[in-house]
Amino acid sequence: MMLRAALLLVASPALADPVIPVFTNETATSGITTAYQGEWEFMVGGGVSTFDCSGDGFPEAFISGGADASALYLNRSTKGGPLTFAKADAAFPAGITGAYPLDIDSDGTLDLVTLRVGPDLLLRGLGDCRFEDATAAWGFAGGDAWSTAFAATWEKGQSWPTLAIGTYIDRKEEAFPWGSCTDNHLFRPDGEGYGPPAPLTPSFCALSMIFTDWNRTGQPALRVSNDREYYKAGREQLWHLDPGQPPREYTEKEGWKRLRIWGMGIASADITLDGYPDFFLTSMADNKFQTLATPEPGTKPVYSDLAFARGITAHRPYMGDDLKPSTAWHPQFADVNNDGRLDLFVAKGNVAKMPDFAAADPNNLLLQNEDGTFTEAGDKAGVASVKIGRGAQVVDFNLDGALDLVVVNRWEGAEIWRGDASLAGAWVQVRLDHPGPNRNAIGAVIEVRRGEVVERHEITSGGGHMSGSVGWLHFGLGATDAAEMRVIWPDGSEGPWLTLPARGFYTLSPGAEPAIWQP
Amino acid sequence: MKFHRRHVLALPLALLARPLGAAPRPEVERDVIVTWYRLILELVRHTATYSPPVASRAFAYIGITAHEALASGNPALRSLAGQLNGLATLPARTPGDHDEACVLHAALAASARNFFSNTGPTGQRAMGAMTERMAGKAMDGIASDVVARSTAHGEAIAAHILQWSLSDGGAVIENMGFPASYTPGTNPQDWVPTSLVRQQQAPLLPDWGTVRPFAMPTGDACSLPAPPAYSEDPASPFFLAAKEVYDTVTNLTDEQRLIARFWSDDPMLSPTPPGHWIAIVLDIADRDALPADRISEILATLGIAMADAFIGCWAAKFEYDLLRPITYIRRHIDPKFEPLLNTPPFPEYPSGHSTQSGAAATVLTAAFGEDFAFDDHTHEDEGLPVRSFASFWAAAEEAGISRLYGGIHFRFGIDQGLVQGRCIGAYAAGLATRA
Repeated sequence: MMLRAALLLVASPALADPVIPVFTNETATSGITTAYQGEWEFMVGGGVSTFDCSGDGFPEAFISGGADASALYLNRSTKGGPLTFAKADAAFPAGITGAYPLDIDSDGTLDLVTLRVGPDLLLRGLGDCRFEDATAAWGFAGGDAWSTAFAATWEKGQSWPTLAIGTYIDRKEEAFPWGSCTDNHLFRPDGEGYGPPAPLTPSFCALSMIFTDWNRTGQPALRVSNDREYYKAGREQLWHLDPGQPPREYTEKEGWKRLRIWGMGIASADITLDGYPDFFLTSMADNKFQTLATPEPGTKPVYSDLAFARGITAHRPYMGDDLKPSTAWHPQFADVNNDGRLDLFVAKGNVAKMPDFAAADPNNLLLQNEDGTFTEAGDKAGVASVKIGRGAQVVDFNLDGALDLVVVNRWEGAEIWRGDASLAGAWVQVRLDHPGPNRNAIGAVIEVRRGEVVERHEITSGGGHMSGSVGWLHFGLGATDAAEMRVIWPDGSEGPWLTLPARGFYTLSPGAEPAIWQP
Repeated sequence: MKFHRRHVLALPLALLARPLGAAPRPEVERDVIVTWYRLILELVRHTATYSPPVASRAFAYIGITAHEALASGNPALRSLAGQLNGLATLPARTPGDHDEACVLHAALAASARNFFSNTGPTGQRAMGAMTERMAGKAMDGIASDVVARSTAHGEAIAAHILQWSLSDGGAVIENMGFPASYTPGTNPQDWVPTSLVRQQQAPLLPDWGTVRPFAMPTGDACSLPAPPAYSEDPASPFFLAAKEVYDTVTNLTDEQRLIARFWSDDPMLSPTPPGHWIAIVLDIADRDALPADRISEILATLGIAMADAFIGCWAAKFEYDLLRPITYIRRHIDPKFEPLLNTPPFPEYPSGHSTQSGAAATVLTAAFGEDFAFDDHTHEDEGLPVRSFASFWAAAEEAGISRLYGGIHFRFGIDQGLVQGRCIGAYAAGLATRA
């Protein structure tokens, strides 16, 4: 049924242009001032993570400062109001390239995994947006590398998450850095903490990672996007993660084709509506959009690139006079105009002083058309900043149902835009409350039924460009007045189909009625 | 000797470990040129404008710079001024002693800065570090006035060559060499884009055939006969050539797959095809401890031959504008045909690998002789095995046929490419580098 629907969708002619949301740049009044600073060792990174640590439901923003101090911004916005933040007193060490929120110890309070040029740190959330360094207490070997990628999953039977951390160049190799990619590591739980990490070798300068049940076997694998600028003999990677077994790389004989790109970020979503996650991989010049060639349970990892066909190569600036190739970083699928179709945001920016690539490289906001192609609207939507973008998050900061946007820039302050509250399309937002370990239900799948089509949304921790979010999950509904959805929980148990009235917030738990929440 | 990143780090350290001033100057000179070239191979890989034609041009100018830097102080060597198109007499040395390693280092450092000014921050950082490291090595134990005089001369040579290069028509590369727009021909035999990469919907460097050549008189000095007449008749030579590609790719052996990958030398993923031949020479230079003047004259003539090869090849490619096997095979044999290698984004005839390999084999055979056996370590870092060849032509022929195995060239494009390369290479091989 899903496959037939997908084919019909692709075959149908392009209809009316999608609604273009109008974003308002509220950087100047937002209170957010942090810039991603630093020279060569901070040419990548610059992540932002969003999560609610104050308990009011509004997401905070943690912005990486690179060589300077990072900052946690407490969300002081009101429902539908201007985006305003107050810088928290909490102090964070310098050298942070990105951070991901994750309830590591499943105590109901989000912790923070901070990736650094230097030892990585696990910061335990204490509530009220306070944190303490739990790196040693949890037995986490933070190393001393240039960390640039992260993903987490709860392996079957485990009460603590398995963490994957990717690293970049050996920063001591000044005269000849090529081929000096340092080891990525897999941290598996050992009781209430971690044992020694297992190397994920060969490692090829990872800039994004994500655990995904890509072929719906119930066994997630680890996808790694690598920067070909620095590796030798490298490629994009997919790792088996069989229970109790060392990680094992998929091979060409298993169908995993050798692909070598300047991999910088991963976004995943079921855009093709075939029931399996598709992957958008950012790079320099053309970006990739991969979909399974044969979407069947247990299929081989053979992917086709649909970026050209769908109009999302995003290979060069679409405005201005600088038409050199683009440099893409954080990608994210999200329904920014609430029409019920996922759109694509891509943060752009020159590495720095690379004259063969665009210096004025606007962010992309690619709106999905009814026929599955995308139309560029970054300029018309007002988010086409040509600052040197890196990490980003598309998230509803003021809980009005219209998605907002924050982008971290290199050497200049982060920018934040308020979404378009005048959008006619409906929406619903849910958050998952999973009792016991894995409180935020990483690895769950939310299915949304739209007529004959069922969309699958995999809940993940990781990916993007050193940017991530935990909290409200936003679904545009278009002209419908309720969402039909269900949750398939991490243990595989299927929740009932629910009808959730539009324009509402709901907390979903296994075996419980949806709990309405109001900002 | 296999040489990669570890060698770059280890060699200077090894030499520094000797008693101060103990390193023989010929050894230092060889170290200067080989180490700079090892870095240049990486810069070619990591600079986005360095497609194979552009890389060949840089190898030619940098090789000429090295040769002229030494020729100006060695009466046994002969300048290429007056032999190469448009190259005027180079600056003479000022009175006083010069040190050859210092001259070479200054010339190569300046040349690298010039030709890789558009590389990224990591390349810039590496060039800075290498300049400092090799300067320390070259200047160790040399009188300061000699260092200053030698540095000035090396930089003057590099500046002269740079100035000459600016007028050849290949100095400015926009959009990585791809025109902003392009309208393919409408004849059935015309080249059409074969890639799903948006940037590659136009062919790479369609005007490269008009770039000023180095040793050959004009870009079409070694023109080729037309390819077999286009036909869709299954009995026609053209169809049979396409069928050969199809059958070969369908029944590839492991050895053929390896050969295809070994010579693939994709831009931005390798030092490019001309860089592959440069790497072969550097391995031989290490293995046989060649003196710097010998290395530089070979690198100069090799660079010239390959640069002229790309100019001549590109002139022919856009004269005949022939479609690629993937296009023909999908239209007339199997719509699901997938070649082993990515098809390059420009017309088929002749094979660029073949032309430039034929030119390279011609000058290297002239330099080292027939049946000169060598091992090719170029892709050891990439996990590919060392390949051994009985002669340069054996390597060139393998490079050519690798494109058939890869499914991206017809055999006639390969055969004629080698013929064209032999013709073009003869011009470079005929240059007088010694008095």
